[in-house]
Amino acid sequence: MAAIEADALAKSFGGRPACREISFTVERGEVFGLLGPNGAGKTTTLRMLAGLYAPDAGAARVAGYPITPGRPGGPELRARVGLLTESPGFYDRLTARENLMYFARLQKAREPARRCGALLDRFALREHADRPFAELSRGMKQKLAIARALVHDPDVILLDEPTVGLDPEATREVRNVVAQLAADHATIVLCTHHLEEVERLCSRAAFIAGRLVAIHEIRRGSLLRIELAAPFAPDGVRALCHSLRLSGSTLLIEPRAEVPEIVAALVRAGARIAEVAPHRDPLEDAWLQLLAEARER
Amino acid sequence: MIGVVIRKELLEVRRSPILLLSMASLPATVVAVPIALLAWLVRAAPEQALLFVQDVYGVRESAGVAAGIASVLARNWLPMFLVLPIFLAVLLAAQSIGGERERRTLEPLLATPVSTLSIVAGHMLAAMVPALAITWIAAALFCLGIDAVAGHMLLPDSAWLFGTLALSPLLALFGNATAVVVSSRVLDPRAAQNLAATTVLPLLALLVFQLAGRIALGPRFYFALAAGVAAADVALIAIAVRLFDREKLLTR
Repeated sequence: MAAIEADALAKSFGGRPACREISFTVERGEVFGLLGPNGAGKTTTLRMLAGLYAPDAGAARVAGYPITPGRPGGPELRARVGLLTESPGFYDRLTARENLMYFARLQKAREPARRCGALLDRFALREHADRPFAELSRGMKQKLAIARALVHDPDVILLDEPTVGLDPEATREVRNVVAQLAADHATIVLCTHHLEEVERLCSRAAFIAGRLVAIHEIRRGSLLRIELAAPFAPDGVRALCHSLRLSGSTLLIEPRAEVPEIVAALVRAGARIAEVAPHRDPLEDAWLQLLAEARER
Repeated sequence: MIGVVIRKELLEVRRSPILLLSMASLPATVVAVPIALLAWLVRAAPEQALLFVQDVYGVRESAGVAAGIASVLARNWLPMFLVLPIFLAVLLAAQSIGGERERRTLEPLLATPVSTLSIVAGHMLAAMVPALAITWIAAALFCLGIDAVAGHMLLPDSAWLFGTLALSPLLALFGNATAVVVSSRVLDPRAAQNLAATTVLPLLALLVFQLAGRIALGPRFYFALAAGVAAADVALIAIAVRLFDREKLLTR
């Protein structure tokens, strides 16, 4: 069974639709992105999956627990979901450890003290654990919020804009933490408007702009882009590639052989090469095109 | 789970010296000013004037003029100690839901499996404990002060015992529940505090009328007040739990 199954979820507030036709599934151990501009309905979708909002229409099943119109997920669902809220949301006067312990107890975590200690170690917060929350850096606060989302060992982790408002250093730290979680095969829904985060961390992403626009599969590091300095017919290197596409002066190759071997073969065949680089998944192009199409409709 | 919420709330109060100071300032004034004034009056005012005051309030004390004038104050100042638990509870409870929203801790709190009742009850009880503790300490100090000036034990009498031990908790709960209801509907915790604090106005009015010698509040009034406040408490708690809808709280 999938960890999350959302089927045509819709939600509106005071007659204004926040999102509609949101359907996707997230497999166990998958990192799934929810991409969309501000106000696209990402947070609303996440809150429905976290059992905070009841959908107006559609249904979902999260960690095996149902969400139906008018009925948000109950306490059993909330106990199996870890939610990272957009703002860390801790008590300034309590220490990092006291804050984490408070939520561990509310989440009925097993052996809360041991669990909190382990998480503080994991996120390199141990030496700051007894400082008031207000004194922590932005990056530390966000890491503590991620620790809170994990404190009860949830089946599903929902991350709402984990790097929003962070400086570059803190952003990198938090992305590394999410990458660690992904490497541990956690089931994650990552809600963001940063394409590079999705490209780096997710296997699939849903584009949302008030409704589900498309679901995109992320491909990483599988293509090679070669910029040619002069026109060239690449037929001689086809044997070294799974696929080969020439578009103007750009040659896109899905390599069968090692990169130096392909480059050497091209040079031997007379190609004048200006640049060789891994080809990024064209997520940005796809996103902008889908967004434009959605706006036209 | 209620215990977890209460412990956290009390820890936060303990870590906030400004809040503690603001909570202690009113009771300190309510105790110190009348006792000091009484001690000064007994020493400085002519006996004729003191007897006149006793006549105005219809008080006769066989133990002497000082005891008589202390008795006047003891009888008339009790409503002030009924204002205290409401005021102190409002001070804390208005910060509860509104404060959670302002600090953005509401969403993570609501995302836990904790029930609505536990969250509301935890916040209410956490505000009641310090409010009652401070009220009782202040009442004990006031009684000691009155007795010291009177030269014998005037307080606590039955009205004071009933007022502080039975009526104060009910009033603290009333202030609390009102503040939770208001703070779940009003976005700004300070506005919620101000709105909820208006609940002390009827008691202050009673105090003024009593001090002016227009009314004399007796045991029957305090019993009736206790019954009315208890009924209001039940209704307000039911409203607070009903208003505490996760979705509504997040979307307001």
